Amino acid sequence: MSAGGSGGGAAQAIPQNKLIAFGAAGGLIAIYLSYFMVQFAGPAFSFIGALGAICAIVWGAAAVRRVASYGLGTGVPSIGMLALGMGVVATMFGLAVGGIAGPIVAFVTAMVIGLVIGALANRIIGMGIPIMEQSMTEIAGAGTLAIVGLSTAMTGTFMFDVVLTEVISTGYIALIFIAGGIAILHPFNANLGPDEKQDRTLSTAFEKGAIAMIMAGIVSAVSAGASAAPTIVIGLAIWYVSFSQYNKYVVRDAYDVVGTGLLPKEEEESE
Amino acid sequence: MEPLIGMGVLALMGAAATIAGASEDLESDVGSQSNPNSQVQLAPQMMYPHRIFNKAISGEPPSNALMAAVGGASASVLMGAYSMSVVFAIAVGALIAAGIHGTYATTAYLGRSASQKRFRQPIYLDMVRSHVPVMMGFAYITTFCILVVSYLMTSVLGHPFPLTLLAFIWGITVGAIGSSTGDVHYGAEREFQNVEFGSGLNAANSGNIVRKAECGLRNGIDNSWFCAKFGGPATGLAFGMTVFLSGWITTIFDPSLGANIGWLSIVVGLAIILILILWNRRLEVFARNQYGPYKEDEEVTA
Repeated sequence: MSAGGSGGGAAQAIPQNKLIAFGAAGGLIAIYLSYFMVQFAGPAFSFIGALGAICAIVWGAAAVRRVASYGLGTGVPSIGMLALGMGVVATMFGLAVGGIAGPIVAFVTAMVIGLVIGALANRIIGMGIPIMEQSMTEIAGAGTLAIVGLSTAMTGTFMFDVVLTEVISTGYIALIFIAGGIAILHPFNANLGPDEKQDRTLSTAFEKGAIAMIMAGIVSAVSAGASAAPTIVIGLAIWYVSFSQYNKYVVRDAYDVVGTGLLPKEEEESE
Repeated sequence: MEPLIGMGVLALMGAAATIAGASEDLESDVGSQSNPNSQVQLAPQMMYPHRIFNKAISGEPPSNALMAAVGGASASVLMGAYSMSVVFAIAVGALIAAGIHGTYATTAYLGRSASQKRFRQPIYLDMVRSHVPVMMGFAYITTFCILVVSYLMTSVLGHPFPLTLLAFIWGITVGAIGSSTGDVHYGAEREFQNVEFGSGLNAANSGNIVRKAECGLRNGIDNSWFCAKFGGPATGLAFGMTVFLSGWITTIFDPSLGANIGWLSIVVGLAIILILILWNRRLEVFARNQYGPYKEDEEVTA
């Protein structure tokens, strides 16, 4: 069945290296910027952490798209969950031991875990996907940055004691896990098919990242270190712009967009 | 806590879970999520374009976990930061979850249809307008009931997990049960009503799903109507029983009263599983004897 992609590498207008730079550098810079701005200018700047999470989510979705184009099919959702699973482990470890360097330690740890899992998948299980190692490394890194970014948006800091009491023991980590994970897996899953286009998939990733940002904003209402209104408003604005853009791409790519109607004519006659 | 109050709360949780299970299954059937989705996705590629909603958010467990976690987080923020009343907070949380679910359903339908350009699968905008509100309605009911179950567990039964985490876990559970119990009714029966009952899915029939209804073209709401007769209620009973029985053993045999009673609760749990396995086995043997294997030469009486 061709339901799981074309079985070969994915065509891409934006090269993956640019997306790696966008996700990794953008994510880390935004997380640190958010932390220092909250320290020096006040909790209103906690939203920058969520912008970093959106960068990471777009990168993760692009990596999922690349690896899932090798015919993963129903494995697409699993790979998104795997990304955040690796991410949670790496985040806990990195933030717990890293202090101010926490996000970087978490990021590097995640990439090591991802590399090992990718090597296991290819060498031991024998999946034989040429970009498996690289993609799992990327997906783990993206998942981690999404978690750290959303945690920073919720609390205004990535210091482990605050994250532990305000994000993990309150259960909001479950929301980060599922909202970030589905934001990474859903874009390719939603656009799966032979006529999938990279820009359309990535615009979905922006839109789903914005939803995760809005939710982080709602949760930050209970935290003293972060303010909810800027995160929610900016999230809604990003959502609106990216959804409009997605809609334009859909109209561009679709066979036909009709208000209502019967099935296409040619097929009816051949029956 | 008084055992009688515990039983009452448990009954309420079971009732809410039954509703959640039924609405979860019907919600997934409107959009052909999960198992039946592979044939809905395949149909245009076999040159059978259709007017059936293609809601490929993810599997049912993750998408329901998202709904429940969003609802749970919103409700606990409203109760914590704004001291809102429980019923109102849960209602608003479920509303936010339903809205987010609607955006996911929309991007899935538009994206999947647009990616099948070469197979001439059009996008019907009236499908978005008619199906998405129905799914959001069902999603609201599911999330609301899951939050009721989770809230009762944390506040009355004293479960140590926070509301969001419990809602997340119950969301995965209701999705998994809806996927395994209810989807059979839609995927195996409704999509292939045009082939003889019990004939299995021949490779030649792959993608050749029923696309025409009693009147006009079949859509996801027709499928939900069909599944409301059996698949939805069966899913509801399955999830309601899961919630009720798993709570019942620790309410009757409360492990906090001593180690012996705690072990007894585990024994009772194992006994329930054993009884269910035997009961299912009997049911399967009965059904096989009653309806027998598929015979090619037999005339269809229906």
